[in-house]
Amino acid sequence: MSLYLSTMRVFRFTFQNIFRNFWLSFVSMTVFVLTLLTVNCVIIMNVLASATLESVERKVEVTIYFNADATEDLVKGAQGYLLGLPQVRDVSYISDADALDAFMRANANDPLVLESLEELDRNPFGHSLVVSAHSSDDFPFILEAIETPEFSPFIKEKDTADYDRIIEGIQNLSTKVRWGGIALAGFFALVAMLIIFNTIRVAIYVHREEIGIMKLVGANDWFVRGPFILESLIYSAVAALVMLGLIALVLGAMQPWILRFFGDIDTSLSAYYWKNGLWIFGGQWIALSVLSLATTFIAMRRYLRV
Amino acid sequence: MIELRNVTKHYAPHTNALKSISLHIRPGEFVSVVGQSGSGKTTLAKLLFAEERPTKGKIIIGDWDISAIHQHEIPILRRQIGVVFQDYKLLQRKTIFENIAFALEVAGAPQKTIRDIVPNVLKIVGLGDKKDRYPRQLSGGEQQRVSIARSLVHRPKILVADEPTGNLDAIHSHEIIELLKRINEYGTTVVLVTHDREIVNALKKRVITLQDGEIASDIEHGKYILS
Repeated sequence: MSLYLSTMRVFRFTFQNIFRNFWLSFVSMTVFVLTLLTVNCVIIMNVLASATLESVERKVEVTIYFNADATEDLVKGAQGYLLGLPQVRDVSYISDADALDAFMRANANDPLVLESLEELDRNPFGHSLVVSAHSSDDFPFILEAIETPEFSPFIKEKDTADYDRIIEGIQNLSTKVRWGGIALAGFFALVAMLIIFNTIRVAIYVHREEIGIMKLVGANDWFVRGPFILESLIYSAVAALVMLGLIALVLGAMQPWILRFFGDIDTSLSAYYWKNGLWIFGGQWIALSVLSLATTFIAMRRYLRV
Repeated sequence: MIELRNVTKHYAPHTNALKSISLHIRPGEFVSVVGQSGSGKTTLAKLLFAEERPTKGKIIIGDWDISAIHQHEIPILRRQIGVVFQDYKLLQRKTIFENIAFALEVAGAPQKTIRDIVPNVLKIVGLGDKKDRYPRQLSGGEQQRVSIARSLVHRPKILVADEPTGNLDAIHSHEIIELLKRINEYGTTVVLVTHDREIVNALKKRVITLQDGEIASDIEHGKYILS
């Protein structure tokens, strides 16, 4: 028999099976879609968690206080030097006058503090620089780099009191979220595998008599297995496409809400899916196909002994 | 045509369905295999189309020793032996035409051949006008005729019918037996497995009687002798 003829017939039987067993096909495909939905929920949670952590990480700043005798030019020179470092994201200059002003505003309701300030005949604050980095891991390097002979004698204090604790906290949280995500994804993948295995097993069990008849009238393995294999591939492809559509719809609807909830955090899930969509949905289709094919073979071996 | 040499079929743990039986069926014969439930007659039928393999002994069909047939050769064997079952074994989601065509499709017959042969066999079994119906829309007798039509599409040299009238009333049973006789007259060897005394006695053909897995009698123009 020509390969073309047999392949075309297997395709025809496959589509006949799908449409003549519409509800079984529908339920199987729904299970596939729900499985992918679970996987995509885990992906979305990971993207949002990573974006949140990154955003918090970006908000960590370190203030470098200069002595009162440090001139504005020197401090601005230090600002330029720091901005030249690739690890530095931004450096804000705060003049001594601005610092005094901010202090007075912050303590406007505390007359004792204001009176104490008036006792002094000069501005007790020096210039300062507020440094933010691309990654919290870069702070130790940045604070080391500023200790040059030119600037070091004028540095009064580096406000590192909290950043070690914050960064350590963020890194701990980040690691936990990542491992939590992997564990959750692993758990759902296992559940998905069991559900898909059972769905296909049931489908083949339902058809076992029919398959037995096919074999009794002389159908070879390809004719019997072919439609099941193709059905699995079609279910997987349809599920991946339905998921793609669902994600596009849901993200379109959710994006304004996400932006409102996360504020300025860069959580463009649509952009993430747009950039990685081929890998995400292609990978999901391939994974589903491999899983359903393996299940098909196992179930057929189990139930077909004609 | 069909030769069994000392064939034994053992099912674990302690059942010997067939005990070293030997027989020879000539081309064009009509042979009834009779016996009570559990006598081994269905096992014998299953051995002929390789649904079961013998534990010991040889089964030769034509020049082909099918005792140790390879898995991939089974479809080839089944396309050369027509098989009819008590429960018809029709594909419920295919029409009558599709059920019969399927047997040709799996053998790689071109579409034109299928379009020629299927209406012909349907006409032979008297179902030419019901080709688009599904099995559930037919009576038991009609379903069995579809099953026979399907078994004929390859023009088999051997037709094995395992209790083909088991689910039918007397009138439909008679129709089916008449159909098998006609097929036999065209030269096909027919092996009829049955426990229907009236059918066997009316046929007046060779009767092999099985009892407890052994051949109790093998008589040309025989009768149903079991009580």
